[in-house]
Amino acid sequence: MRPSRRFDPLWMLGPTLVLLVVFFFVPLLQAAKSSLYEWDLLTPPRYVGLDNYRALIDSGELGHALSTTLIMSAVVVVGSMALGLGLALALNRPTRFAGFVRSAVFSAYVVSWVSVALLWLWVLDADAGALTALCRALHLPTTHWLGNPKSALYALSGVTIWKIAGYSMVLFLAGLQDIPRSLYEAASLDGAGAWQRFVNVTWPLLRPTAAFVGTTSLIISFQVFDVVRVMTQGGPVRSTSVFVYAIYEQVFLNLRVGRASALVVVFFVLLLGLTALQLWAWRKKGAA
Amino acid sequence: MSFSRRAFLALAATGCAASTAPPGRKTAPLWFTYGGKNRQVLEGLVKTFNLSQGEHWITPIYQGDYFEGLAKLRTAIAARRAPALSHVVGEVVPYLAQADVLEPLDDYPGARQLDIVPALGQAGSWIGGAERRLVALPFNRSTPIAYLNGKLFAEKNLAAPKTWDELRAVARAFTHDGRHGFGCPIDWWFWAALVGQAGGDVVEPDGRVSLGGEAGERALDFWKTLVLDDKSMKPPPGRDYNAWEQTNQDFLGARVAMIWTSTAFLKYLEENAPFPVVAAPLPAERRRAVPTGGTHWIMLRAAPAEQKPTAWAFLRFMHETANAITWATRTGYMPVTRAAIAQLEAEGYYQKHPNDRVALDQLGVARPWPWSPDLFRVQREIVQPRLEGAVLGGKGTRQSLDEARALATRWR
Repeated sequence: MRPSRRFDPLWMLGPTLVLLVVFFFVPLLQAAKSSLYEWDLLTPPRYVGLDNYRALIDSGELGHALSTTLIMSAVVVVGSMALGLGLALALNRPTRFAGFVRSAVFSAYVVSWVSVALLWLWVLDADAGALTALCRALHLPTTHWLGNPKSALYALSGVTIWKIAGYSMVLFLAGLQDIPRSLYEAASLDGAGAWQRFVNVTWPLLRPTAAFVGTTSLIISFQVFDVVRVMTQGGPVRSTSVFVYAIYEQVFLNLRVGRASALVVVFFVLLLGLTALQLWAWRKKGAA
Repeated sequence: MSFSRRAFLALAATGCAASTAPPGRKTAPLWFTYGGKNRQVLEGLVKTFNLSQGEHWITPIYQGDYFEGLAKLRTAIAARRAPALSHVVGEVVPYLAQADVLEPLDDYPGARQLDIVPALGQAGSWIGGAERRLVALPFNRSTPIAYLNGKLFAEKNLAAPKTWDELRAVARAFTHDGRHGFGCPIDWWFWAALVGQAGGDVVEPDGRVSLGGEAGERALDFWKTLVLDDKSMKPPPGRDYNAWEQTNQDFLGARVAMIWTSTAFLKYLEENAPFPVVAAPLPAERRRAVPTGGTHWIMLRAAPAEQKPTAWAFLRFMHETANAITWATRTGYMPVTRAAIAQLEAEGYYQKHPNDRVALDQLGVARPWPWSPDLFRVQREIVQPRLEGAVLGGKGTRQSLDEARALATRWR
């Protein structure tokens, strides 16, 4: 269908386009340019070609930031989708109690990241934290959740899942409520049990929602910064130094604008590629 | 390229430096980088300065923690919106001096006559500091000291440890029922203290990063013994100043019986602890040794010329005896002038407040830093992650330090 006034869509897209250009594309191009320079903001920038990228690879920082971020993303995407879907299935009923629980779960999503991080800092305290106390009461082994390099990243992933599960839940609930009841009734008449109804009716029809939830969770998990900044500052032993925090550390703590910019460029390419891959995979599945 | 970038930075810096100075005064912004109690005291002193005369006006502007402030300072310099006055950690003074952004202070009236405690000023803080142009004046200067929970120590009838062996025994004695005997951030500054106590220096006087050689390994092994073998030392989660704050909270909550941290927190801990706080010098191994820390005042060369006399007037004000005393006695930092110390001695202040005396007494064994523009990067990017790797990640001590030494040598 062709619009009768051909330029109307452009006018309507204009404000968003301007914002995108000014606050996204121009800074991105500027970062790409800065990544080719050694610059500490004090002395004049010095052109170094691809040295910043080389240094990040040789020092292992790029690989480390990449693996840390991917592990966290995998845990967060799978965890938040599973929890969100589980909650949505459990709470998809028109009772007052279900409504209250839905609101309670979603409230975590609207609380600021910093508040959540401060709350969990207390919960995960190695000596006096609620989780440690619970483990002790149940005679379960405890650890220094945030001080142990082996557990810190998973602890932060858990906090992130807790924070965004409400968002996944709301989207899955919307998806569930779009599924016609008649399909369930037909499936029941054909003798399908609860699991078969989920596998053959619910999940196929939720796939577009799941694709959206997966993509947005992936983006959120890649952009996690506040919980790292507040709870671990990338430690211990850089075990929680995810991409965005590594960028912050390079520019604000190590005073290396060029290397930070190189990380920004790699981060952008990576996120773009992963998002495209994920959408392609979901669409392919949907078409199959 | 430089124009567009500069224009952007100028905009950002202008936003940061909004001033509310009254008309009719010569004004200058002061960018400062700490909150809480220390911020209150500094703002009080600025207010006193502004009200004490009718010519100058200082506008204090909070800029986050030390490193956030430094990043903003660099942005402002690049944008040609540098504030006249700020303060930075000692490690970055040589870096800023090499970049030629610091205002030489020698020629300001009375600069060389300021009655500064030698170990705290440029002359004593850096090797060869006296031979260089004066670019830094001492502000909040500190050393690491030990803080003891007086109630717990009295209950066990134990005294502050004077050696590493005693420290280990004391830490073990208090470690039970979810409490650790000792708490200390795994931070380069405290490790430097241990290296000094073991008889080494992190950086040799010629600038070579030796990391203390065998002393460095002993220092790191000592931490590993306490954390991994005895489990009597709690390394706090987080890094940098967040870890320091966590250490304070563990101490205030009596979850740790004894901590090492800066003199900066003396008044904060004394005022907030529900038990008597006892400060003590750090123990000795082969010798007593501590590094100094904290920040130095700097003036920025790129600041508008008309702001500089105001900034200088404020610096002189801060070095007046009464103001140096106010700053020191209300925060826990050391008085930076000899006259201030003499007056406090004469008034019997240290008899009444023995905790305040600890850092001052340690100054006699303070080790100066080399004048090395790369030192803070070696510290942050090379050594600090390897200290954490050895203590928290279980990596080999020698391997970690050899790796760090090799990287630091290549850096030069």
